[in-house]
Amino acid sequence: MPAKNHKQWLADPPLQPGEWVDSRVYSDPRIFEDELKNIFRRTWIPVCHESELPNLYDFRTTSIAREPIIVCRGPDNEVRAFLNVCAHRGMIIERRPSGSFLDGQPSGNPKRMTCMFHAWQYDLKGNCVYISREKEGYQDRLCKENVGLRRLRCEVKFGGFVWVSLNDNPIPLEEWCGKPFECLRKSLEAEPLEVFHYHKAIIPTNYKLWHDTNSEFYHDFMHYHNRVTGFNDAYFGRKNESFEHGHVVVGTFEVNYDKYEGFESRAALSFPYLPPNQWYMIDLFPGMNFNLRGSALRCDVVTPLAPDKVMIEFRGLGLKRDTEEERQTRVNHHNSIWGPFGRNLHEDLLGVTGQGATMLPGSEPRRILHGRRENQTIHDENGMRHYYSEWGKWMNRLPRDPAQPYLAPAAADAAE
Amino acid sequence: MTRNGADVADVVRDTIYRATLLLDDQKWEQWLDLCDDSFHYAIKSFSPEINRDMTYFQGSRKDLATMVKLLPKHNTDHSPLRRHTTVYTVDVADDGKTASAVSSFVVYQNLLDGVNSHIDAGESRLFLVGRYIDTLKLEDDQVRFIKREVRLDNRRLDKGSHWPI
Repeated sequence: MPAKNHKQWLADPPLQPGEWVDSRVYSDPRIFEDELKNIFRRTWIPVCHESELPNLYDFRTTSIAREPIIVCRGPDNEVRAFLNVCAHRGMIIERRPSGSFLDGQPSGNPKRMTCMFHAWQYDLKGNCVYISREKEGYQDRLCKENVGLRRLRCEVKFGGFVWVSLNDNPIPLEEWCGKPFECLRKSLEAEPLEVFHYHKAIIPTNYKLWHDTNSEFYHDFMHYHNRVTGFNDAYFGRKNESFEHGHVVVGTFEVNYDKYEGFESRAALSFPYLPPNQWYMIDLFPGMNFNLRGSALRCDVVTPLAPDKVMIEFRGLGLKRDTEEERQTRVNHHNSIWGPFGRNLHEDLLGVTGQGATMLPGSEPRRILHGRRENQTIHDENGMRHYYSEWGKWMNRLPRDPAQPYLAPAAADAAE
Repeated sequence: MTRNGADVADVVRDTIYRATLLLDDQKWEQWLDLCDDSFHYAIKSFSPEINRDMTYFQGSRKDLATMVKLLPKHNTDHSPLRRHTTVYTVDVADDGKTASAVSSFVVYQNLLDGVNSHIDAGESRLFLVGRYIDTLKLEDDQVRFIKREVRLDNRRLDKGSHWPI
């Protein structure tokens, strides 16, 4: 078909319902606010890894849906999460990205979380243990027992990741994502893992466009590395398997790393129970990715900042017991593709930045196609279709017309 | 090399500045010509987030030569990078065979095709801040890099880069 006029450009494509979405799902500020409220405040987010707080009294700060969060390892070795907000006047309690409460602070004592502003102190179970000039100011009207921190649901699971929910009654974590993790559970839980890489990107695009890129492999045409190390019958046979709650697992195949000049096989450092040079990927709703390429695990976590702005935190992990030499090799394997100066990550981020440039808030809505069907194999876009079906339920919006309430796919078909 | 210490330091500084210009101009092979066969390059940063020293990229001269050879096969952000380097210290070893140098740098990205060129092209943004920690080999007729550690302050790296820094 030749280039289209405006009416033709805006018309629905000749595909089935569910095989495209309206670009407003990526650009509408009202939809974005609903996503924070309906999705990110209700689900589990892997905010960090337990190796980031290895010692008693270690802490790590993070945030979900604009709420600052502190994760800490108590004197009983339990990892807990709290809102990082003082119960007094809303000051952020801990300002550093990580550290230890074993050291005293200018306003407070060792082994306490101290708000620097007025020196209120909390223990690592979130109890308020000190209010400066308590009796003088509050007499018997308010006491320490009335002003503990807001405790959050927190579990360490699936290879030592620290999962936090702002929802007091979320779907149990095992029920939420245990099944998609089955493909890697033995490999991730055989022995302790350790984070060796961290960097972040703040990109002018919608968070779902990043997750879409992690969910579809059709974009391998953008990656020279993937084409030369991957494209063969086994590659095209990889399955995209959908799981309840919007999650997807991309099945494995054997990558031929040595087909890319200067790269090497990763077989010698395979994760436990993982056959040589295999590659699994787990995409979790609403925007997390666990990606195991043989010797190195990558984890992406999105923090949506605006309809057209997302922070992505990238972590790389190896085995805690690695020798120095093994660790360096894993780091090289990780960085050669996924590091900020690696071959693929830069290309992926260019791709989603380019999408973000065409889907700014207020830009004309258009159809974004998710309609490839290839027997649920690697270039089938069933992973994105599965995601947006789940998204529609959580948002009560129809992805292809987000002003309309959600219809289950069968009902949507009947309404056509 | 019959120069005195001050002369040697000048040559080291000149070599570091020459490398800066070659990197700015994406003359990768000429930049590698300033590097000894034993050259090792690494981009590192300390992360307060994970409380760990990290290597973001590392390779030998051969690795770098392969990498730059394959650049045309990769999609990339072609926005030029401009390095502003200031050599702070040059210390010549007692035997006069090597020198170490510490330089501060900032890298600006002059946007070309990274986002929407109609809006963004022509704008310069601060891209990286850090230090070069260099070791150079001093021989009678030439000075060659044998090690460069690019130590970044940044852990926020947005789209990153395919290019040596």
